[in-house]
Amino acid sequence: MTDKRSAGERIVRILVMAAFLIVVIFPLYWMLITSLKPKKDIFSLPIHYWPKTLTFENYENIFKITKFHIYIINSLVVSLGAALVVLTISTLSSYVLARFKFRGSSQVMFFFFLTQVIPAFIGFAPLYLMMSKLNLVNSLSGLALVYTVMAIPFSTIMLKGFFQRVPSSLEEAAQIDGCSRLGALVRVIMPVMLPGLSATFIFSFVQNWNELFFSVMVIDSEKLKTIPVAMNSFITKFDVDWGSMSAATVLSVVPTLILFALCQKLIVQGLTQGAEKG
Amino acid sequence: MSTQATTSKSSRKSASALWFILGCLAPAIVLVLGFTYYPMLRGIVMAFQNYTLFDLTNVHFIGFDNFKEVLKSDNFLLALKNSFYWVVVSLVLQFVIGFGIALLLRKQFFGRGVYQGMIFFPWAMSGFLIGLIWRWLFNGQIGVINDLLIKIGIIDMPIAFLSSPSWGMFAVIVANVWYGIAFFAIMLLAALQSVPEEIYEAAAVDGTNRLQKLFLITVPYIMPTILTTVMLRVIWITNFPDLIYSMTNGGPAGSTHILATFMMDKILYGGEYGQAAAVGIIMMVLLVLFMFFYFSASKHEKAGDF
Amino acid sequence: MLNMKKAAGFVAVPVLISMLAACGSNDSSSNGAKESASKGVQKVKLTMIESLSSPKRTEFLQQSIKEFEAQNPNITVELITPPLESADNKINTMLSAKQTLDILEVRDITVKQFVNNGYLENLDSYASQWPDYGTLTPGALTMAKDVDNKAYYIPYGIYQRQLFYRKDLFAEKGLEVPKTWEELYEVGKKLTDPAKNKYGYSYRGGAGGEQYITQIVQDYNGSNVNPKDSVFNNDGSSIFSTPGAVDALEMLKKIYKEVSPPDSANWAFAEQVQGFTSGTTAMLIQDPDTIDTVATSLDASQWGTAPLPTGPSGVSHFVLGAAGWGMTNYSEHKEEAWKLISFLSSPEQNLKFAKTSGVIPIHTTAGSDEFFKTGAYAPYIEMGKQPEKYVGVKPFTNYQGYALYKKNGTEKGQAFIMGRTGAADFAKEFDEFWKKEKANDKG
Repeated sequence: MTDKRSAGERIVRILVMAAFLIVVIFPLYWMLITSLKPKKDIFSLPIHYWPKTLTFENYENIFKITKFHIYIINSLVVSLGAALVVLTISTLSSYVLARFKFRGSSQVMFFFFLTQVIPAFIGFAPLYLMMSKLNLVNSLSGLALVYTVMAIPFSTIMLKGFFQRVPSSLEEAAQIDGCSRLGALVRVIMPVMLPGLSATFIFSFVQNWNELFFSVMVIDSEKLKTIPVAMNSFITKFDVDWGSMSAATVLSVVPTLILFALCQKLIVQGLTQGAEKG
Repeated sequence: MSTQATTSKSSRKSASALWFILGCLAPAIVLVLGFTYYPMLRGIVMAFQNYTLFDLTNVHFIGFDNFKEVLKSDNFLLALKNSFYWVVVSLVLQFVIGFGIALLLRKQFFGRGVYQGMIFFPWAMSGFLIGLIWRWLFNGQIGVINDLLIKIGIIDMPIAFLSSPSWGMFAVIVANVWYGIAFFAIMLLAALQSVPEEIYEAAAVDGTNRLQKLFLITVPYIMPTILTTVMLRVIWITNFPDLIYSMTNGGPAGSTHILATFMMDKILYGGEYGQAAAVGIIMMVLLVLFMFFYFSASKHEKAGDF
Repeated sequence: MLNMKKAAGFVAVPVLISMLAACGSNDSSSNGAKESASKGVQKVKLTMIESLSSPKRTEFLQQSIKEFEAQNPNITVELITPPLESADNKINTMLSAKQTLDILEVRDITVKQFVNNGYLENLDSYASQWPDYGTLTPGALTMAKDVDNKAYYIPYGIYQRQLFYRKDLFAEKGLEVPKTWEELYEVGKKLTDPAKNKYGYSYRGGAGGEQYITQIVQDYNGSNVNPKDSVFNNDGSSIFSTPGAVDALEMLKKIYKEVSPPDSANWAFAEQVQGFTSGTTAMLIQDPDTIDTVATSLDASQWGTAPLPTGPSGVSHFVLGAAGWGMTNYSEHKEEAWKLISFLSSPEQNLKFAKTSGVIPIHTTAGSDEFFKTGAYAPYIEMGKQPEKYVGVKPFTNYQGYALYKKNGTEKGQAFIMGRTGAADFAKEFDEFWKKEKANDKG
């Protein structure tokens, strides 16, 4: 009887997951086939769910007309750079917030939570003025700094949650073994924390990778533009250049998906291995 | 600083702990203070000034006039109401589906990695792009959704999803749910994987069934993550104009405006920064009130721990 | 060893931050005078920003800039091209921070605001010594001196609407091109067949929809409209105050309800044009920069252009839309900046630019160019020959309330065509709105 139940259940489970996958993936599929259609076929009726003629001209175009390869590099530099700095800073801040009971700790948490409530534009003009004075306008470092600051609160809040789930007995044992606090953090806790760290890393990376508003405002030069700005430029007065837009969409999700794939392994392995070592 | 921390033997222990705490917190706090709070405070001042791009030569304080003006606006109450629906409906659906997916993904199966990668992909796109794509999909003339619904035989005539006040909110919420599921799925999955097997093994001996296991063991164990992610999503969805902005621009007739798009409109039409800041402050106050309520209500669950 | 690790952890953060800061200063130093050092002659770098960009137009501008740089070896120009949607916002932000900027694209809807805030240089003294100034068309001159009767920018072209129609669809039904709004409605009705997804007209209910409301209301006010203050009549009353306004609104509603796709209630530029090129709609009222888009997606035999429809008294109004190049008043290289502006505005350059970006050229000399005499541009000449019938009006962008009118006109226009408010109430509301604006403007 138990066998029967699990067989039926497995089918339901597979069906649910398949249905969900179709819904989720359809817009990407739509972008993919659009990117492979010649421009004149994109809006032709009746709607074709598979390109009549396959072409790579849209991909060729975005590299020919725009400096897309440069935008990719810029986006990678800014997004990875900022995400790494955020991870370093937030690991330290979240660790102490999770492990120490000190006066003001709840105020510090509130301090971080409150930043999430602030609509991005409110402080924008003053921030731009500051950056202008600090010579950070029209530089990738300036943009990375903005992204870093934007991601610290969320990353701290998230990582604190992960730290709290790591039993403090782990590092106490390590400290008894002669590790200092930071030593214990780096050698014992970090491996156990890999799932949380990689999840946080992905989120701040993706946020940076997709950020449009600040990138438009901070970056002037063609050679410093990031992918979202370039994609936003495919919206012209009279139409959206869906040929270029869809090709750029497909290219722009690839790095993120690779990162997801890489980090999934970490998420799974991190926990089991880390725990064993500890 | 580091020398202080190294002498963590016995007598100076608390002092060194203090230095350690300060050292670890300093970078985060200094950066956020300087580049988020300082500009924000400068920005908030605009809400009490006649700050409009049309004429910046005579900016002065005007008390609460901007707030009065905003509250008087035709679409403000509608935007407030829409914000509420937008947040609650999107959040509930995102959470329930996201949690379900996370549970399904907990056990290893063939192709799990690929599956995970694919369902997380909506999160890999920017809000404006998602809005643009869904705007096309929902288009009343050349939209794929209408085409499919007609092919399946559910409808005869295309529905003007984005041009009818009764469908507009539905369409933007569908797009938002689609987008936000991945966040809950990835966060809750990471949390689920930190639940130690031993807890279940102990429970199995007691003969608990699956539903009991879920609500008595799993949910309480990951409660902090649930509470924090829900809290953050409430805030983020409230502050997320991008999608609606590129899908319907708040239209038709203001029927899909939420407070965030209402605020953007104030800036983009006429550069009414003062009024926009006033809307921003109203949003912030509402959200902070919500935060207090939320945290006090969930205190016994150790939410967010503060 | 443990100490090392600890130290490393503490060092890591500041190092990363200082790395950030370091790259920052590297990038920004390339902005200015760095290049000047090597040569004896002072090399000047101009920074220029455009707003209404399109890939084709940007490419053309880059080309022009190269020509300019070849003629002026001591000047280099950097062109900033932000995405269209956020360009004006970015320009404003840069101006308010006095970020390096010498030449900027000024539009009819931004010029007043830029002047109010003291961002723009008055170009009168430069223009008076400019040999090509004399050949500016009256329209271009009017728009250049739009604010305070001073030239704050040199237009690169005029935007002016006309009627686009599908020759193929009209021929199928044996229809004539409509000359009045009434005819447009009648003809549109014959072209409409919702079951086949065919409609007469590309209605614009979404962003920018208020311009179409203004246009038809002006037309129904006939020759009473004040061309210099076109939301008011010659007697000072608003165009919304007359019985004609209510008739116009009822006609507009009929055109939406009966001859336009239901979806068009929230259509903006893109959908409007797409509806026309895809064959869903048979008529479209748009600016000349649509010509290129239409020409690339349709065969020449499939479409044509015609003068705008008129109101009941046979008068039609077209707005003189304009944009052009202005100079920041804090520019450190004003002479060079003017050199570039006058270069771009010269008859030869402007003619090429107008053809590329689909605007009406600013110099009278262009009238003899075949390109604008024939084909899709021909109705402009025809309209220009009958100034009593086709009245060019200045946009009323200089009122502070213009922006609010844009927003409310669109949103309330949508509510109106959906039957939530009546024509009389709509007209009354905006009559009061403009009365108040006028009072405030004087005060």
